[in-house]
Formats: sequence, structure tokens, C-alpha cells
Amino acid sequence: MFDRDIWQEIFHSIKSNKLRTFLTGFSVGWGIFILVMLLASVNGMQNGFYSQFNDDATNSIFIRTGVTSKAYAGFEKERKIQLKNNDVAYIKKSFKKDYEYISARMYRNTSASYKGETGSYQVQAVHPDHQIIEKTIITAGRFINSNDILSGSKVAVIGRKVAEDLFKENSPIGEFVIFNKLPFKVIGIFTDEGDDNAERKIYAPITTYQKIYSNTDNIDGIVLTYNPTYNLTKALEFSTRLENILKRRHKISPEDQSGIRIWNYAEAFSDISSFTSVLSWIGIAVGILILIAGIVGIGNIMVFIIKERTKEIGIRKALGAVPSQIMKLVLLESVFITTLSGFIGLFFATSILALVGPAIQSPAFTNPSVSFTIVLTATIILIVAGLLAGLIPAMKAANIKPIVALRDDK
Amino acid sequence: MIEIKDLHKSYKMGSNSLHVLKGINFSVKEGELVAIMGSSGSGKSTLLNILGMLDELDKGSYELDNVPIKNLNETKAAQYRNKFLGFVFQSFNLINYKSAMENVALPLYYQKVGRKERQEKALKYLEQVGLKQWASHLPSELSGGQKQRVAIARALAAEPKVLLADEPTGALDSKTSYEVMDLIQKINDAGNTILIVTHEPDIATMCKRIVHLKDGVIIEDKNVEQVRAEKYV
Repeated sequence: MFDRDIWQEIFHSIKSNKLRTFLTGFSVGWGIFILVMLLASVNGMQNGFYSQFNDDATNSIFIRTGVTSKAYAGFEKERKIQLKNNDVAYIKKSFKKDYEYISARMYRNTSASYKGETGSYQVQAVHPDHQIIEKTIITAGRFINSNDILSGSKVAVIGRKVAEDLFKENSPIGEFVIFNKLPFKVIGIFTDEGDDNAERKIYAPITTYQKIYSNTDNIDGIVLTYNPTYNLTKALEFSTRLENILKRRHKISPEDQSGIRIWNYAEAFSDISSFTSVLSWIGIAVGILILIAGIVGIGNIMVFIIKERTKEIGIRKALGAVPSQIMKLVLLESVFITTLSGFIGLFFATSILALVGPAIQSPAFTNPSVSFTIVLTATIILIVAGLLAGLIPAMKAANIKPIVALRDDK
Repeated sequence: MIEIKDLHKSYKMGSNSLHVLKGINFSVKEGELVAIMGSSGSGKSTLLNILGMLDELDKGSYELDNVPIKNLNETKAAQYRNKFLGFVFQSFNLINYKSAMENVALPLYYQKVGRKERQEKALKYLEQVGLKQWASHLPSELSGGQKQRVAIARALAAEPKVLLADEPTGALDSKTSYEVMDLIQKINDAGNTILIVTHEPDIATMCKRIVHLKDGVIIEDKNVEQVRAEKYV
């Protein structure tokens, strides 16, 4: 392996056939380049999907209501279903083990003004658990706490964009903003990994809003996260159970799809996971097919080299070279060309990824990169490929009869 | 040194079989300088190839230095060639991208001799053939006679029991031929056993014994008064 003479010969062979070596090496390098780029792109898409979902806790379940589409239990169809505080209490009581965090939601649009500045925003009135469910990041102050809920205090947590719009450079914490003529004290600012629109929201305690809106106990929706130890099957089973019970509670036909809608992240998440894994398999398959073309190219060149060196191999054998030594020479050359050109391809691919990757700012495509495992696998593939490409020519070379080889020129 | 009994060899040419060697009995003692003569098609090259383990015999027996040469696989044959035999070819068969010294060192490489020792030995043999100052030159930079002398040095480097030369002067003019023969004679004087295949009578007379082949049999085997090549050089 570390025999200086063998390497001298390999270098000589490469040096005297620069173009040929380059062309074959190129096909392998190109193959690896495409393989890595494909895998990195799939990886980028995967990251993109996940980061979009990660905006919310990945084990969250959303409950919304609509109007019924079927007559049931004496009720006509097109009845509006209204969730109330006691629905939240009921879920808390009946599904103690199944849920982790839960919050009611109320949506109201509001105009907000502070000194001269006015804007129109959506207020989400929620419970404190909402922060964890939505993965809301507080950059200043605090989120709504249980005291705010109990006392129904007029406090608000505003999004980063809202703070920018209304307060410019000033600190909003402790200031009073007017929401539809009522003053709310700003207690916190949040950012959201989602997008700018998510930062144009305002959070307020749910009890406060219920009080403002004619002392209702109506809510618009419920969000909860299921027990994080649940696997996909258990999570889906839980959301089905939840759906059935809520339908019974609100006297909706079990077949009615529109009265209550439950959206489980687990489901979408598993769909996307299988989608991206199919994508990455396609990537691997295409990459390997391209690589095979390169390997065949190297094999081809090696056969050609052997043909050219038939006489030389004959001389070597006459001087006492055993077949295994000849084989080693050919195999090492082929492995050397494949590995070297493969690494060049790998190097280019990873450099391009390192340069371009961070510059890509698309929500669907984040941080395209290759893992160490991919690089390692590619290296192993290359060495095996080199061996395969060299194997047939090497056997051919080892079987050259010295007498035939030496007779060549006579 | 060489002991051949009832050697037969035929080649298949399509559906026909060409009987090239038809029962050769032949022995060579240590230190001999033998010329194998014959017209083309007489089987002299085939005989040399069998002696050189480059080709296999069909029938008969062949012993080299009391080792029976029979049913050798490729690896074994290569090892025996390396240990017992040195080859000199008509077309020199030097490896064109290796310097004279590297060419001479090649058999030693296959004997797994260390790099430094290989170079020293190669230089020693190049000196013996008078080409020490050409050690770093490529074969393409050497004349025909020089190339053949490098080839002889390469054949000697492995310190073989027998030196086999197939028309060693076939590609050289007569002056250079005599120079090469002079070298071969001197090597023989030092005690090496040498077999030369040639069709040139003047080259044959510079050996000590002439074996005449015709149509696959030995028709004449005689010792001769050696003509020294020195006087023509």
C-alpha cells in the first residue's frame, strides 16, 4: 500500500495520460457532486418543513368549530357550534393523562394606538399555557400569567412588529396602549420564528376579553398539546377520542366533518417525514445511478490502460512479478483516481453548500447541508467503486500470459 | 543444470494441431554457453519459452537445478522465473518510462529486496556492462547496443541460475552484436550458464556448444572451439 515504487508507477501512468485521467475522474467527481447536492437539497427541504412546523409545538392539537352539515338528535343542520369555557374545563377533567398544556383562544381584531401612532392588529386572548404551545419567545417583559387570568387585568403582550409600529425606538414595557378605546398595559414583547405576520399579533388574557365582550364565556377555539411521551398511533388515537367526545357533547352526528374540526400536528408531521424520506431515497438513487456511470467510465479507462501496458505487464511477469502484484498495481491506480476525484467533487459540493447555503432565505428551504455520515458514506462508496471499477481490468491484467505479451511486437 | 527428456509441444491452430517440438532430449551443465540454432519454424523459440517457463510443455519432463518444472500455477512460475532465470530479448523489452537503473532493479523489486540495496546492486551490474554513467537515462536515450546491455544487466541482477537470450543480437548491427557477445562471453567466463537462441552462424560460433534444431528435433549437438568476440570489437 505504501510502497513507493507502486505509487511512482501510478503517478507515471496518470501523468502520461492527463486528459484521459481527468475525463474519467471528472465523471466520478461529478457523480459525487450531484449525490451530495441532491442529499443536501433534500436535507434543506426537510429542515424547511421542520422549521415551519417547529413554530408551534410539534405535538399540538387545534380544535375549531363551524356549522353542522347534518341534522342530528333533533337539531337541524347548519347549526353553529359554540365552544365555551366549560369545554376547556371538561377536557382538563376527562383527559388528565392525555394532555400536557391547554389554552382557550379568542380572536378579535382591534385598532391599537399609542400617542400619535395607530395600527390595526389581531388580538388573541389566551391562557398562560399558550406560550408553550405556540413556542412564543418573550424578548422583553413577561407573558400572561395566571394572576392576569384571575383578575382579568387589561394587560397585553405585543409582537415585535407591533412594538416597532407603535413605539419606534422607545421601550413599550409599562406603557399604555389604547385598544378600541380601552387602555391596556404592555407587559411583554414577543418574537416568533414563523414570519412577520405572526409578530403583528397581540396576546391578552382570555378572561379580560370575555369580560369586555359582554361577559361571555364563549371561546373561539382550543389549543392543546398531547402528552409528549405519546407516539404517533397514540396521538392519533387521542385526537379521535377527543373528537368523538366533543361531538357527543355538542350533539353533532359522528359522521359530520364540519361541526368540530380537530387538527393534529402529529398527522401532518408524519406525512411530511415520510415525504422527505422518500425524497432523500430518490436523491440517493439518482446520485448512485450517476456515480455508476462514472465507475463504468473508470473501468473502461482501466481496461484501455491494461491493453496499452500488456507488453509491460508481460515483461514484469517474465522478471518475476506474481499475478497478485499486478492486480494490486491496477486496483490501487483505479482506487486512487476514484477517491481523489471523488474527494474533489465532495470538496466542491461542500464548499458551494457552505457558501450558498446560509444565503438561502426561503421558509421552504433552510440550511441545506450534508452530515458527516453522508460524507463518510460517500467516501466508502468511492473506495468500493474504485475497487469495482478496477476489478475486472485487474483480473485481466493478472491473467496476461507473458509469452503472448512479449510476442506482441514480433 | 538443465535436464530435458522427451519434450513434446504442439499448438492448436483452429482445428489443426501443429506439432512443434517432437521429443527433445537435452541437458546443459553449469557454466556452459550454448547456442540453439535453427531456421524459423524449427521450434527453437518454443524450446526457449518452455525453458523460460513462459510456456508449458505437453509431454516429457524438465528439471532445472534439480527442481522439476511441472504444473506450475502463475504465481509459482513467476517466483521460479525470478529465482532461476534471467531473460534477454531481441527487442530488449525495457520499460520505457523507467531509467536504466530502475529497469535493472526491477527483478530485485520482485525479490523484495530493499530500495537502497536494489539501487546499489543495479549500479553494480550497470558498471559491469559498462553503463554506470548512463544509470539515470531512459531507454529512449540509449543506443540499441546500450539498451541490450541494460537488458543483460537486468537479467544478471537477479543472480539467476541460467541466462536465456532470445536472438540477443537480432536487432543490432554486427559491430554492436560483437560487443554484446563479448559481454556475454565474459559473463560466461565468470561461471554463468547461458543459452542463446540465434539463427546467425557467426554468433553461434562464439558459444561453446551448438545445438541444431530442425522441424522440432535436434539434428546436431556439438561442442565447438569458441571464437572470442574481443578481436572484432
